[in-house]
Amino acid sequence: MTPEPAGHAPTTDPASLGAEVAGDLLYLGFQARFLAESVRDLARSEGLHPGLAGFRMDPRSTVIARAMRCATDGKGDLCHPGPLAPGPALAFGATPLEFLRHLAAKGTSPASAREGGLSWTDLRRGMIGWGGPLGGTATQVLAGAALAFGQRGEDRAALVFERHSALQSGGWHEGMNLAGAVRAPLIVVIAAPKRADRAGHSDIGAAAVSYGVVFARVGTEPPEHLFQTVAAARRRGVRGEGPTLIELLHLGDEDRWAPHDAFAARAMAAEGLSEHDLDAIQRAAAVGVAHAVARLEKEPGPAARDALAPVCTDGPPPPPWTRRDPPGPDTPAPDDLTEQSHAE
Amino acid sequence: MPNEAPAHVARTRSGEPATFLEAISEALWEEMERDERVFLMGEDIGAYGGAFKVTRGFLERFGPSRVIDTPISEGGFTGAAAGAAHMGLRPVVEMQFMDFISPAYDVLTNYIATSLYRGAGPMPLVVRGPVGGGNRGGPFHSQNVEMAFFHTPGLKIVYPSNPRDAKGLLKSAIRDDNPVIFEEHKGLYRAPHCREVLPAEDYVIPLGSARTALEGEDLTIVTYGLMVHRSLEAAAELARDGIRADVIDLRTLLPLDEEAIADSLKKTGKLLIVHEDTRTGGIAGEIAIRMNERSFEWLDGPILRVTAIDSPVPFSGELEDYFLPGVRDVVTAARYLVQY
Repeated sequence: MTPEPAGHAPTTDPASLGAEVAGDLLYLGFQARFLAESVRDLARSEGLHPGLAGFRMDPRSTVIARAMRCATDGKGDLCHPGPLAPGPALAFGATPLEFLRHLAAKGTSPASAREGGLSWTDLRRGMIGWGGPLGGTATQVLAGAALAFGQRGEDRAALVFERHSALQSGGWHEGMNLAGAVRAPLIVVIAAPKRADRAGHSDIGAAAVSYGVVFARVGTEPPEHLFQTVAAARRRGVRGEGPTLIELLHLGDEDRWAPHDAFAARAMAAEGLSEHDLDAIQRAAAVGVAHAVARLEKEPGPAARDALAPVCTDGPPPPPWTRRDPPGPDTPAPDDLTEQSHAE
Repeated sequence: MPNEAPAHVARTRSGEPATFLEAISEALWEEMERDERVFLMGEDIGAYGGAFKVTRGFLERFGPSRVIDTPISEGGFTGAAAGAAHMGLRPVVEMQFMDFISPAYDVLTNYIATSLYRGAGPMPLVVRGPVGGGNRGGPFHSQNVEMAFFHTPGLKIVYPSNPRDAKGLLKSAIRDDNPVIFEEHKGLYRAPHCREVLPAEDYVIPLGSARTALEGEDLTIVTYGLMVHRSLEAAAELARDGIRADVIDLRTLLPLDEEAIADSLKKTGKLLIVHEDTRTGGIAGEIAIRMNERSFEWLDGPILRVTAIDSPVPFSGELEDYFLPGVRDVVTAARYLVQY
């Protein structure tokens, strides 16, 4: 049996979260759901890469991310949304339009269309984007960021979402091992085991124990339960008690929304919300996503020369002439060749 | 915690000559005293003081939060350094031997080097460590790694040849907002002929700037690291025959100081490139094509190169001596080129 995080107090009472958090969870859940639907629709109509036609999201990711201390001044917690974006990205302050711009590689995208993937980096809002082609890189990077928090004694923690396949990469284990060794305030969420992700070693709890890391496994538990599990893990990390590893068990499409819908019903009762109130929250989320979709079509793509961004802070962009504009007979000779004869 | 620097990092303060290794220790010490954001990560760098003792005494002075003994996981702690750099720190990562940097290749090339371009911001970190052969270290403790990374936009690569440059360049690398790979040739670490009195004041040497190690008119020898010394020995022998070589010490490989090479080439018309790294895909090829592109009219002969042979670094002394480029190789190539 795997240990539950210390200080965990399961509850199904939305009031325990407070009205603001409960409202946020409802809104973010609906927003992420509508955004995921829009991504699939856009992919089918060639507005986005066809590979996104099967895009799904897990509403538990929104709850987990909202349990962190999100801020927009670069002093809050840090999150790598990973494979479960957009939920965590939205919780950390990204807008649906930014998300769609990024996926569509528009010239207005947060990464100026120079990076794709499901997430981007915005340190002001505490987001670290795609970590590269190999699973586990983000765990390494976020472990280092968390190490910095611990070193400075800050009330900050880092959250990273990884696929189950990360367990099959050495990089992930290196990151976890280091995070455990330095007691970094890090929460690692392993998500959605499926297909090839299942091919290798899959006992995440055993991995956690080997790194001296607290472990929790989440299935269809109520959002309140999940929120408090993460909040407790965060508090432990900030106190210097080390990382927590959370496994999100894979849920089917129907099951994955059931906890959110049940939560909505409980929240209505607890907060005295009417059907009309809930409908207003849903509509607000839907309108924001619809606006983003409509706007996306009018957004320009990047200009070709946007590829010439500097790769170093003090360096000029790489010269393109050898390929784009090769020197020909009319290319002026450098001054030093015309001023001096080298023929003698 | 004691504030006094250990003897091996206080040579300059006491007016004594410093070795190459001591110059590196001094640079790290002074930067850590100057800027509390600077911290060290690596295997055995704390309690043990580092495999080569570069960081001996650092743990006692700066504490375990700034001198971090890591698990044996080069990829993991280099990735963690990236995260710390995102959060405003300035990590200096030690590879116990630079041969061990290969597990960190992914995070260095895919994540760290692309950070600015991807819009993820600057990435001020240094990865430093010992390189090079001649110590009978065999294939896994003797490599030169520069060309594994030279092809990656977003990185800088530094490879000094003497204590003064090593200290000034390392300070620049730590203060730079970009990721820097800093190579230190083991053959220079404690070489007696390399000891020198360093400037007492705080000084830096800008990255991307070569220096003229010796002035001459008959041919240009472009080189770096330990091979600067081999090339200077060769130049001394050539001088006895009246051949005067212009020896350019690149100091920084990326960005490459093309101007310095081209300026010398204008003067001599002959170009010989010397590096300890292996031949195929070595930096000589890149320098040759760049000079061909921009300075073809100045060339009075083929561009030649003297390098290690294309093989892993062999363990046996006899084999390694054959493998490595030597003074005799440089002299032979230079004579051929001058007579061309």
